[in-house]
Amino acid sequence: MIPVLDFSNHLLFWYYLASNLAYLAMLIIALKTSALHQRRLQSRRLNWLKEAPLVPPITIIAPAHNEEASIRVSIRSLLELDYPEVEVIVVNDGSTDRTFEELREEFRLRSVRAVYVAEVKSAPVRGLYRSEADSKLIVIDKEPGGSKADAINAGLNAATSPYVCVVDADSVLEHDALMRIMVPVLDDPQRVVAVGGIVRVLNGSEIERGQLRRVRLPQKSIEAIQVIEYLRAFLIGREAWAQGNMLMIIAGAFGLFRTDLVRAVGGYRSRSIGEDLDLVARLHRHLREKGADYHIRFVPDPMCWTEVPSDLKSLGRQRARWQKGLLDVLWPNRDMLFRPRYGRIGWFALPYLWLFELFAPVVEIAGIATIILAACLGVLSREFFLQFLIFGYAFATVISIGSVLQEEVTYKRYNDWKDVVRLVSYCFFEHFPYRQLHMVWRLQGLWQYLRGDYEWKALKRKGLASAKVQ
Amino acid sequence: MRSIFEKLWKLGPAAVVFKAIVAAIVADALLLAFIFLRRAYRKWYFRKRDARVFELRQSWEALISGEIPYENWRKKSFDRRIVESIALDEFEAAGPEQCARLLKFLRASGLIEKRIFEARQLRGWRRMRALVALGRTRAPEGIPALAEALRDRNLEIRLAALRGLGRAASPQAAEEILAWVSERGMTVPALPLQGALIQCCAERPRLLLPLVQHAEGPLREVMGRVLGEVASPALGPDLLQFVGDEREELRAAAARAAPQADPKLAFDALGVLAEDTVWFVRLRAVISLGKLADLRGVPILLKGLMDSNRLVRLRAAEALIALNTGMAPIFKQVVETKDRYGLHAYVTALENAALKGKLEADLQASTEVTSEEKRLLQEVLLTGTLPQEDLNQVERVLGGAGPQT
Repeated sequence: MIPVLDFSNHLLFWYYLASNLAYLAMLIIALKTSALHQRRLQSRRLNWLKEAPLVPPITIIAPAHNEEASIRVSIRSLLELDYPEVEVIVVNDGSTDRTFEELREEFRLRSVRAVYVAEVKSAPVRGLYRSEADSKLIVIDKEPGGSKADAINAGLNAATSPYVCVVDADSVLEHDALMRIMVPVLDDPQRVVAVGGIVRVLNGSEIERGQLRRVRLPQKSIEAIQVIEYLRAFLIGREAWAQGNMLMIIAGAFGLFRTDLVRAVGGYRSRSIGEDLDLVARLHRHLREKGADYHIRFVPDPMCWTEVPSDLKSLGRQRARWQKGLLDVLWPNRDMLFRPRYGRIGWFALPYLWLFELFAPVVEIAGIATIILAACLGVLSREFFLQFLIFGYAFATVISIGSVLQEEVTYKRYNDWKDVVRLVSYCFFEHFPYRQLHMVWRLQGLWQYLRGDYEWKALKRKGLASAKVQ
Repeated sequence: MRSIFEKLWKLGPAAVVFKAIVAAIVADALLLAFIFLRRAYRKWYFRKRDARVFELRQSWEALISGEIPYENWRKKSFDRRIVESIALDEFEAAGPEQCARLLKFLRASGLIEKRIFEARQLRGWRRMRALVALGRTRAPEGIPALAEALRDRNLEIRLAALRGLGRAASPQAAEEILAWVSERGMTVPALPLQGALIQCCAERPRLLLPLVQHAEGPLREVMGRVLGEVASPALGPDLLQFVGDEREELRAAAARAAPQADPKLAFDALGVLAEDTVWFVRLRAVISLGKLADLRGVPILLKGLMDSNRLVRLRAAEALIALNTGMAPIFKQVVETKDRYGLHAYVTALENAALKGKLEADLQASTEVTSEEKRLLQEVLLTGTLPQEDLNQVERVLGGAGPQT
């Protein structure tokens, strides 16, 4: 028994160290990359871009399902985005509330025969509408497809621009977000095939006529901790992975893709649980198999603000779904692992996801169990265990504070001192018991997937009411 | 066998773990101190800057007219940066008169000379900053310094210089860019190069012709696209020589530029290009026909309506709708094609332009169609479809079997 426990402790120790060192390396890369990005932006004045000729048009696809509370405000904000040529397609995915009626009243919709060619699979379309109030707006009313992916596919079939930007209908984009997300494309349109933008937590902030007016940290602890998680994931993780052209996920709430490529891979997979990760994985596969020279980029400044769950039950469901989605993507793509054909995706990005994202909750629970067992058997050095715990706590806090630092030196969206003090304090308090709860939710997700429970469980949402709408 | 904790414990906690804990805690403390000290410093700095901006703004007119001696603020870098940034921001929104006034001020105060010097002498990000500032002034004397920076090894510097030259929007800047691409080839991405050239060559598009004729590969394509954008009527015959070019980008450019040429030549050229094997060449041709808005283009547009590419069909339909005359006979010809996709595109364009009612009225009033034809056409317009059973009826009533050319 003792050798097994010892092996397990060895494993836990090295696993923990490797995971945190990887994050530390990513933090360093991200700090450097952001500084370079900021400097580069100095030579690109965004208002020049508005006047520039030959700027590629963009189609924004906003799937909406039962969004009656916020649909008017969010679509209005999409229509007011700063970009020379934009088309907005809202896909009403079989809403059972007044989403469609709200759209019809607000934007004076009339039935049209816009070009719709079913190149990618989606549920049947009931009707196509164009706004009389704003000719940029097209609404697709369709049968419920059971997933966001299905709704996006319908939008893809009607899109006429070379680039599509997929957003959540309940999110708020900053007015210059499209211009900022297009910067990598404009620099290298031949190679850049997709760009991810940053998604930030909307809860607690103030919105006026669909535009974010004041950024505030949410009041509830559970929401504020998610702010740190999002900062860590986007400003450190994605920034660093994208630097090595190994970005595996572009947030479903805000991402830009080359339309022809998304169609070439068959659009979004309707039955996928994590459709955003799934699409990027299939794009990597498709392009690597073709031997294409391509880039999938991340830009940290075009911001999309979205509502995060504000109760434990919804948050648990969301995290369980994310974990299910991860397994749902990694398992079918297991053949990409360690195959030279898939290059760094097969050698680094996917193994990292398997090891430090998918298996993390399993390793954590196994580690906790063996430590308890070792303590019971009297083979655990309590002094060292305590020190290991303190070290782990301090090290993990460095990473979290690092993400706050990254926010501070680059984008600095929290202007209020009180918000920053609270944000930093949560870096110390998120380890207990939030992390343990998170581990349990992720384990639940894995278990649900393994026993075939792929059901999409609805999250409790307030819509834009999670922010103060004026 | 001892556990790993024991083994590490034997190494001595002071030696390994204790140091690691101290290092992590020190890192936490340093990060926190940096965040808060930086915040405090920035708060102080911006307050100071804001107060100074207000003071300078109060005396702005006296400042730019030279009433306040330039020496009063030039030697203080804090003030100089503020004055320059206010002046450059004003440039972005100023009309020609105000621009001239600001430029005079920047020259007289020596700020432009300073930036030219920096653009030539400095390296890295500081050079880039100087280039951006020079570009924002659009001063002709800044063009040589910007052109020199096009030869920098750093891509970011080259891009900053290129954008700066683009802002200058003068033939002199165009000559510098063209000389550089002839000498070095494409050392920047295509889009910024196109953008800068379009801005600079608008006044004298002929500058592009030698390079379009002699360049090769992607550079030739870029030049072709730029030429297509800036083409003027005077260039018409020169552009039409690219109708049979081997590169599709140049054929597309010829199509784009055709409306600027003599209408007779343009129709012949567009007729050829509308049947090109590459879809975007056909698309360009159809769009150009739409711009010509001439009934002579109808037969070509009707063919475009039956194109295999949906964008070409839609643009052809829009071009037909944009003619806005003789809608009833055109609609009759559309139905005669018996092409469902074409009809769909036409009705879509009609609805998008909110002209369905007008076509209905035109059909009613038209003397060019018989009453039986009217009934059939109205039914097709109402349903927007051409059911199988109706095809025979269309054949019988309208008697057509394809577009009338």
